[in-house]
Amino acid sequence: MLEIILDPSFLASIPRFVTPILLAALGGAICERAGVFNIGLEGMMLTGAFFAVLGSYFGGSVYVGALAAVLSGMAMGAIFAEFNLRRGGDPIVVSIAVNLLAAGLTTFLLRAIFDVAGAFRDPAIGGFGPIDIPGLAALPAIGQLLSGQSLLFYVSLVLVLALHVFFARHRLGLRIRAAGENPAGLTAGGVSPNRVRLAALLMCGALCGLAGAQLSIANVNLFVENMSAGRGWIAVVAVLLTRGRPLPLFFIASLFGAVDSLSFRVQGFGLPQQFTDMMPYLATLVVLTVLSWIRLQRAR
Amino acid sequence: MRASLEHISVDFGPVKAVDDVSFGVAAGEIHAIVGENGAGKSTLMNVLFGLVRPNNGRILIDGDERVWNSPQDAIEAGLGMVHQHFMLQDDMTVLENIVLCSEPANALGFVNFTAARNRIRDGFSQHGISIDLNARVGDLGVGQRQIVEILKVLYRDARLIILDEPTAVLTPQEKDRLFAILHSFATDRRSIIIITHKLDEVMEVADRVSVMRGGRLVSSGSLLKTTKERMARDIVGGELPPPLRRSARAPGRVVLSVRDLRVKGHMPVGPLSLDVGAGEIVGIAGVSGNGQSELIQAITGLRRASGEIRLDGKRVDNMDVAGRRGAGMSYIPEDRQRTGLALGASVSENANAGRDDVGRFSKGPFLDRKAMADFARGLIDRYRIKAAGPRALASTLSGGNKQKLVVGRELSRSTPLVIAENPTWGVDIGAIELIHAELLRMRDAGHAILLVSTELDEILTLSDRIFVIYAGALSDEIPASSADRQKIGMLMTSRRTATKVEA
Amino acid sequence: MPPANMRGELTSWVITLAWIFAILFGLMLLVGAPFATALQGFVEGAFGGRRFGFLMATLSRATLIVGMALSAMLSFRAGLFNIGGEGQLVAGGLVSALVAIMLPGPPLLVLSAAIAAGMIAGAAWALLAGVLQLYVGVPLLVGSLLLNFPIRYIASYLVAHPFRDVQSGMVQSHLVPNAMWLPNFPGVRLDIGILFILAASIFAIVYSHTTLHGYRARLNGLSPDFARAVGLPVGRLTLQTLAMSGAIAGLVGAIAVFGIHHRYIDGMLVQPLYAWTGIIAVLLVGMIPWLVPSSGFFFAAVQTGAAGMERAAGVPKEIGLIMQAVIILFVASRVSGALLGGSRGQRDGDA
Repeated sequence: MLEIILDPSFLASIPRFVTPILLAALGGAICERAGVFNIGLEGMMLTGAFFAVLGSYFGGSVYVGALAAVLSGMAMGAIFAEFNLRRGGDPIVVSIAVNLLAAGLTTFLLRAIFDVAGAFRDPAIGGFGPIDIPGLAALPAIGQLLSGQSLLFYVSLVLVLALHVFFARHRLGLRIRAAGENPAGLTAGGVSPNRVRLAALLMCGALCGLAGAQLSIANVNLFVENMSAGRGWIAVVAVLLTRGRPLPLFFIASLFGAVDSLSFRVQGFGLPQQFTDMMPYLATLVVLTVLSWIRLQRAR
Repeated sequence: MRASLEHISVDFGPVKAVDDVSFGVAAGEIHAIVGENGAGKSTLMNVLFGLVRPNNGRILIDGDERVWNSPQDAIEAGLGMVHQHFMLQDDMTVLENIVLCSEPANALGFVNFTAARNRIRDGFSQHGISIDLNARVGDLGVGQRQIVEILKVLYRDARLIILDEPTAVLTPQEKDRLFAILHSFATDRRSIIIITHKLDEVMEVADRVSVMRGGRLVSSGSLLKTTKERMARDIVGGELPPPLRRSARAPGRVVLSVRDLRVKGHMPVGPLSLDVGAGEIVGIAGVSGNGQSELIQAITGLRRASGEIRLDGKRVDNMDVAGRRGAGMSYIPEDRQRTGLALGASVSENANAGRDDVGRFSKGPFLDRKAMADFARGLIDRYRIKAAGPRALASTLSGGNKQKLVVGRELSRSTPLVIAENPTWGVDIGAIELIHAELLRMRDAGHAILLVSTELDEILTLSDRIFVIYAGALSDEIPASSADRQKIGMLMTSRRTATKVEA
Repeated sequence: MPPANMRGELTSWVITLAWIFAILFGLMLLVGAPFATALQGFVEGAFGGRRFGFLMATLSRATLIVGMALSAMLSFRAGLFNIGGEGQLVAGGLVSALVAIMLPGPPLLVLSAAIAAGMIAGAAWALLAGVLQLYVGVPLLVGSLLLNFPIRYIASYLVAHPFRDVQSGMVQSHLVPNAMWLPNFPGVRLDIGILFILAASIFAIVYSHTTLHGYRARLNGLSPDFARAVGLPVGRLTLQTLAMSGAIAGLVGAIAVFGIHHRYIDGMLVQPLYAWTGIIAVLLVGMIPWLVPSSGFFFAAVQTGAAGMERAAGVPKEIGLIMQAVIILFVASRVSGALLGGSRGQRDGDA
């Protein structure tokens, strides 16, 4: 076991798994802080994954793919906002609907546009290649971890810090926090909490879209039905556990991503695939249980 | 700034909340608006501030007619409002709270906190205000939060400041400080409107006073031309009800006995001890957030605590809520919207919840809807609850009737001990009278009543013995006969004179 | 309600419907499907077929969806956001199949034992989420959801390895003995599983409206603080309600095994999204008990109708999923906002 963990190629694989969970969780964090109970991250992510492939295939560039992913995620955010904020639907109901809509829309479009069922792969789908960072790559152990990753990994790292500063020092960041804590204070100050929340949902959608792009055009160059496979839910748990604070979120998401990565590695070691597939969810459940327990004890 | 409202009317459905009211305030004037809950004061001010759109009437600022599409318009025109329920962000610092919604930001939207800090300091020195800008608002006391609200308004350089019941949660000392600041504002030619129902304060601070009743303006004029008694008559519309008469106290056996109670939590409580005897009302005064809810939740079993609680001599501290209720405890909670009632359920369903005599309204596993409705109808008659009937949703009742339903349900159980937590918070005068009379009736019938209230008047009116709670500790006992407002006010704000009762 | 208000209500429902159809039409335009043929295919696929074969398929699917909807409804009305119905369904199906395969004895007895075991397994899986919430502080919403994954993989492992029907070449268990298959109604291809769900529906409706337990659970659902303050046994109510909810999900799993597939096939309860469809069927009608069965049938018809559209006009059948999502967005945001948030955002009537 130790061998696996210290294996450089295992280390190198971790960021591929951390990035999607982290990006989606950062998006979820913005909603959480804005007081929008968004458990539709899974659907926003899945939409992003599909449109990343679509954009990359037709646009001929990964950047077009990433842009399409961001825009599609924002569109899902806008749908969420329309039905939750404007029409007053319960956020849990809207989340469930967004998840179903994403599942339906991606499979429907997969068949309508590419005329395939299940999965779509094509050499024309461009992907984010590894970026080698000269100084870093030479470092022992962490060199493998930090260098040679996709652009989106580095973007997600920057976003962790950026979001932290955003909440502390940016006008919209302050207002997002207020929308989550005491929205009446915003109303009294002449700012509409729902407009702030709309902004939060759009940002969340954009980040979840990027998370999806990492899945479909960075980790692999293809789209598979339901390829987010529950990672959006893991991101939701990460958000709930950290109450949307970016720095702790980074550690939790990294932990979940590392287990996800580990579950891939240990497949070759005689464990049935079902057990390795289960690992990330089990780890999430265990961490959630332990932290909830600690919180409960402290509250008593 | 000069502002006037002309012929304002506001309808909420079939209800006329404000009915053809005209009203004005001059620069440098402190204008008090008084009236009981539901008289339309807050609604009128919400119109002036752009939170409510009037069905009729005009708003004039410095002589020009203005139309507000949102509070933002009013704020830009130089209006500021300090709301009754604080609109602050507990998790933010004082500085962040002050700048929120009018942040000095650069082109990218990042906030220049240094500039804000300097600007606030000027306001400090001019009006004699002091507060730590880096403190977390959640850690501040109520008086200081009030200051933050005022700083918010000052930061936007409001020329007309509306304060809605600003002293409701303040101690007498904090109130004095607030009034000093208001006078300083008036000297600065700012106009101030203060909404209140406390006539003593009107006499103390206002230049002019307007009285509202049932959505209409009853009288308006200089303070010099009116008296407290006349205002009181205008408020209730007729003669004042006679003050409550209380019979001499006949203290009986100890019903509730609390020893060495400790509660952990955001505001740790104790160790404290307390007895409530049959036939007496023990009042606990204090500014909210000093451990009242922790104490009550510990006694009712809603929160874990250590120590000994006896009810009629029987240990109940190891029992759950149902066990304690069964042993003879009723509870009128502060929050009728969430704790007192299930708003989505019918009056009947609410009335029958928590009854001990389950067999009276059920047959085996099934409900006896008719018996439930009969019981609810009994409460409706007995406590004069205005409801369409037992099947009406609790959410359709007005605040006062909701509260009467809660009080009725709990008092009808006729338990030896009744715990009442701010039992008349935010209800109309009629409901207050009924609830006070019922509590006194229970006392005279030999029930023990523990009354926790942030309204000092309520405590003074009803209690036989008084304690003050501050920072989770109880003061020494104050007999009602020797209770004095100033002394209790001191106890509400400092630990110095409060001693923990060790058992 | 005054007539002016009612007219406004009616117009906005018409607008809602217009939106839903416009989206549907747009999607069909996208794939270039003939609208009339598609519509005909939809109706045929949902309600037609030779000797009403498709209608029977719809009813068969509705059986499972309504069952899952009842399960969700019992939890939701009690304020318990148990969205782990899928896990409870899988647990029930898996355990009942394994018991039927392994337990010797007279078929009827074994069948009864297997169904009971399935219900117990579903209840146990739901209780696990309840215990995590009550004693560990894990929010039921995420706790129940995350428990879907382990049981899904455990079931998959069991039928892929120890209990696999290797000869079939598929990831599935052996068939349950033929004598335990639920018989069809005479002359049609519909098994009697629907009777179980009919009974469950009657139970759920009677329970919700007329029992002391249902009344108390409902109060807890409307306001947990209130329920605690008036001394209702909140913890016990939570566990008992979840057990009922899980048991019904387990029953649905057993019906799928004995009535439809006659074995446990990997993914057979997960892929068709029965649990999620059940949840949205409850939300569609704002958790009103007696409307739940028709709502479940409606969504079953949407799904089989979509399959009919695919056969008739080549519209990918996933359009059914999109339709469900769109319907729930438009309709549930109108009716259940107030119901789910019963304790939230309501204020005093006084000014």
